[in-house]
Amino acid sequence: MAENSAAGTILNIEGLNVSYPVYETDPVRALRGIDLKVREGEIIGLVGESGSGKTTLARSIMQLISRPGRVDSGRIEYDGRDLATLGEEELRALRGNDIAMVIPNPRTELNPLVTVGMQIANVARYHLSLPRKEAKKMAMAMLEAVQIPDPTRRFKAYPHELSGGMAQRVVMAIALICSPRFIISDDATSGLDVTVQTQVLELLQDLVQQQGASMLFITRDIGITAHYCHQVAIIYAGEIVELASTQNFFDNPQHPYSVMLLSAFSHNPKLRGLWTKVVDAALEGAAESGCYFAARCVRASDKCRAEHPDMREMTDAHSVRCHHPVER
Amino acid sequence: MSVVLSVQNLVQHFPIAGSRSVVQAVNNVSFTVARGETLSLVGESGSGKTTVGRCILGLIDPTGGDISFHGEKIGKKHNVRSRGLRGKIQLVFQEPAESLDPRIRIGVTIGEPLRSLGEKREDRNKRVREIARRVGLSEDALYQYPAELSAGQQQRVGIARAIITDPELIVLDEPTSALDPTARAEIIDLLIRLQKELNTAYLFISHDLSTVRYLSHRVAVMYLGMIVEQGSAQDIFSRPRHPYSIGLLSSVLLPNPNLERRSEVSLQGEIPSPIDLPEGCYLASRCPFVEAECNARMPDADDIGGGHLVHCFKHRNVIDEEKATLDYFERFQEEAEKLLISGH
Ligand SMILES: Nc1ncnc2c1ncn2[C@@H]1O[C@H](COP(=O)(O)OP(=O)(O)OP(=O)(O)O)[C@@H](O)[C@H]1O
Ligand SMILES: Nc1ncnc2c1ncn2[C@@H]1O[C@H](COP(=O)(O)OP(=O)(O)OP(=O)(O)O)[C@@H](O)[C@H]1O
Ligand SMILES: [Mg+2]
Ligand SMILES: [Mg+2]
Repeated sequence: MAENSAAGTILNIEGLNVSYPVYETDPVRALRGIDLKVREGEIIGLVGESGSGKTTLARSIMQLISRPGRVDSGRIEYDGRDLATLGEEELRALRGNDIAMVIPNPRTELNPLVTVGMQIANVARYHLSLPRKEAKKMAMAMLEAVQIPDPTRRFKAYPHELSGGMAQRVVMAIALICSPRFIISDDATSGLDVTVQTQVLELLQDLVQQQGASMLFITRDIGITAHYCHQVAIIYAGEIVELASTQNFFDNPQHPYSVMLLSAFSHNPKLRGLWTKVVDAALEGAAESGCYFAARCVRASDKCRAEHPDMREMTDAHSVRCHHPVER
Repeated sequence: MSVVLSVQNLVQHFPIAGSRSVVQAVNNVSFTVARGETLSLVGESGSGKTTVGRCILGLIDPTGGDISFHGEKIGKKHNVRSRGLRGKIQLVFQEPAESLDPRIRIGVTIGEPLRSLGEKREDRNKRVREIARRVGLSEDALYQYPAELSAGQQQRVGIARAIITDPELIVLDEPTSALDPTARAEIIDLLIRLQKELNTAYLFISHDLSTVRYLSHRVAVMYLGMIVEQGSAQDIFSRPRHPYSIGLLSSVLLPNPNLERRSEVSLQGEIPSPIDLPEGCYLASRCPFVEAECNARMPDADDIGGGHLVHCFKHRNVIDEEKATLDYFERFQEEAEKLLISGH
């Protein structure tokens, strides 16, 4: 996919640090110095293992980090506005109209007692201040847009009467009805079956393109990013370690962690052996100075254990945080 | 090859409280698994994979059909809890954490199946240490509690507990789907190595088709409680014949932007409800090849050689259309090898 480099920046995150205090020990530093720019019309994939901070980043953008979690430093600018300076009222308007989040487990998102059509319509009434009749019409159009089969009948259905794929589409319809300019999808397709997942991904991609929106696509499945994202960001232990255009990333992955991830997907023990270091789980995360990945890295040197690497731009549209990036 | 497990015309219907209809979870499923062989059951959520596994383990009593172990029927009287069969068929679960008792030390958990077989304590402890070594658990881990282990280590415990009785068949129900990629790959390697050493048969249930491609000898594709196609892994992945298998395989997104399996066969629409299955082929409502016959009755299995069975009236037309007989997973592996060796 070609990227749109002329477009303006819609989201700009600088030096974001977020932590969760833990009783009687050091706080969990969930995000450590995140810098990330998303341009208009761009889909950026965020990939990392469980606990790497992906959901924390999504919730930070939504200004929904709940106590005891806290933003220690950094700023998030959306469309030129510093989100931290907005009041609760402004934030609520922004969350409904401009920024939308799609999450997994669609059923927990939906009210079991209200028909899905009315749930979508209520969002339009509240956020777009539409009269009841207009809102219902719009909800119907949205059900069609997300390609729910037999939308007239489904409008009157309750959530439990829908399959998982259909419920996920309803949640998408709710997220997209106000034509958001920025969509965050947090692992939203992982619970779906692959044939349904493809349909939902195509749909998201089309909607993003038609509405000129941008998307932060969070996933543990690096395969999806290869086919649906313009850029790929790899997050490890709360920091971005590699950021590149999708083509550059897959042609020439440079961070040893990225390469280790790819080798795990290759199902080739020889390749994995080259890039994976067997470590004791208990020792992981111990490093607070130096590179956080050093203990698991096959290329780690004394420098890596002593000195924390900065993000370096290697070539155009390709940055890596590593003292010894992989060269080919 | 000697057949360990044979399942013939298995049917499992679940009653629905307060209703006369039933959930038709498994509909006429037949397959065999031989010694040292891995048969994978793939298919979407709700296609009946777990239910098939539970029938084999005697956790539910099938509505119809036969299950035999080494030619002997398993049923109410003769099942996995009976004397001669105890420990011969084992199960590994998806969520390692949930399948382990949080208050019991790892070593005790692993030895548990031997205790129910009545083995003496010293023998048990010796065997536990031996098995732990086999699956790559340290001696220290045996004295720890589940919460102290990583998810990958916990799954090793699940596997250790399964192999300690020298089973001939292990049902693995999505054993790696809760794991991160690195841990997943390690568990897969372990399973393959153990199978080579012990010659165990695996019934491997999974959504993860690249893993299935990698470790299976044979593959059965399930859709709405029936096996629509089965055959060698090679055949299924490089020459799928059933429109559903083609749709399923072309939906897999491999981590390489240049490898996209654009298929002519695109499955639209939603899956019918297992409560209200159509008269004819279950895929008819989503299938681009559908014709009148497909809506009238369910096609029988067509044997196209080499144990490759397809339930589809139109599979000869499908193969015309689907010219791409390339095994994308193999191409992906070749490309990955080139990329990942360079730079090391
Ligand atoms: N409410 C909380 N209180 C304490 N720690 C938390 C809380 N939420 C998250 N964390 C910790 O912050 C880190 C990042 O968590 P986060 O949920 O952002 O990860 P993730 O990348 O979304 O993981 P997953 O892929 O499992 O969803 C983890 O170490 C997690 O344990
Ligand atoms: N005890 C039960 N009572 C009623 N219906 C059931 C029961 N167990 C399973 N089913 C239904 O049977 C069908 C098959 O379920 P099963 O769990 O075997 O599918 P699966 O292929 O393992 O799915 P998944 O990939 O989500 O694990 C589903 O429609 C399910 O809702
Ligand atoms: Mg998360
Ligand atoms: Mg299941």
